Amino acid sequence: MEKGGFRVDPVTIDTTKIKTEKKEPETALEKLEDTGLISTLLAARERKGLVLLTTIDQVFNWARLSSLWPVTSGLACCAIEMMAVAMAHHDIARFGMEIFRASPRQADLMFVAGTVTKRMAPRVKLLYEMMAEPKWVISVGSCANTGGPYHESYCVLKGVDNIIPVDVYIPGCPPRPEAWLYGVIQLREKIKNEGYGAKWGLNK
Amino acid sequence: MNAAEELKQSFPESVTGVGLQTNKPLAVIKKEDLLMIAGKVKEMGFDNLSVVTGIDYVDHFEVIYNFFSYNNKQNLALKVILERENPAVDSLFSLYKVADWLERETYDLVGIRFSGHPNLVRILLPDGWEGHPLRKDYDMNKEQWVTIGEDGEDIVSTDGSGILRRK
Repeated sequence: MEKGGFRVDPVTIDTTKIKTEKKEPETALEKLEDTGLISTLLAARERKGLVLLTTIDQVFNWARLSSLWPVTSGLACCAIEMMAVAMAHHDIARFGMEIFRASPRQADLMFVAGTVTKRMAPRVKLLYEMMAEPKWVISVGSCANTGGPYHESYCVLKGVDNIIPVDVYIPGCPPRPEAWLYGVIQLREKIKNEGYGAKWGLNK
Repeated sequence: MNAAEELKQSFPESVTGVGLQTNKPLAVIKKEDLLMIAGKVKEMGFDNLSVVTGIDYVDHFEVIYNFFSYNNKQNLALKVILERENPAVDSLFSLYKVADWLERETYDLVGIRFSGHPNLVRILLPDGWEGHPLRKDYDMNKEQWVTIGEDGEDIVSTDGSGILRRK
């Protein structure tokens, strides 16, 4: 292997060495051998490879936060700012997020970008429910956060968190693209620190 | 002489007042003669009905029709004054097809009925909505929520079930 480089070799399993009689492991060493960890390490040493030990939490969270795919949905003028964030100058592709999916089935993240009117609210909720877990929501702009300038209107929802759970709120009317990217970074920090099964309530 | 004064000369009994609205000619007319005068307005070259507005003045309603002439580059506004109870006026749909949606919007938000309109139903709010929101006596404390039914239709409810999160 190259010095300083990183390479993972596949581990071949010799099927002739598999014991036909299954014996219950008794000693601590036998229990450790039963997990297959030692044979994996030995095989890696024979092939002069490297072994990377990590946790499911770290690997999954790293994979999730590195390619958040947002759903293509915009409600009002904040959506124009979303286009600015996606374009080359601010370039949301730096976070692996440039693929705005046209189907909620393929998206992990929803930007609620704009005024949520009472009549649009069930559609927004439906869109959220159609997304596959794990999924996150960023509420963008004063309107989606609290109702904003339309707080006393008869037809505007007073905060989108009345209908769906929100992970990050970005203030502004509309927020600058820099604020938008800061909100994205906050969400990445949140995903980095959450447990693998947190979305299902398994471990917090 | 502007367009409103021309109307006043042609129909001295129907036009009760002329003036300017943001430097554009305005004629206040009797609501019974609206169709007749709008026909004359169309003959005068005002080929576009831009906006129909309804205003609640608590003791009465006003409906303002804004016309524009593309050939002469002129504006003209007609104003009719309606009573507070059951405000109704003739529809201009027979003269201007665009009046279809403009009058539906005025009916939706202010609650003015346009007799002779082919399809006078709400255009912005869902059908089950109670009240007309741009009226002064609209109850702002009463929250109304919208959910989607099985056939995709809008259902209005007052308790927010099916849309609000449990907290």
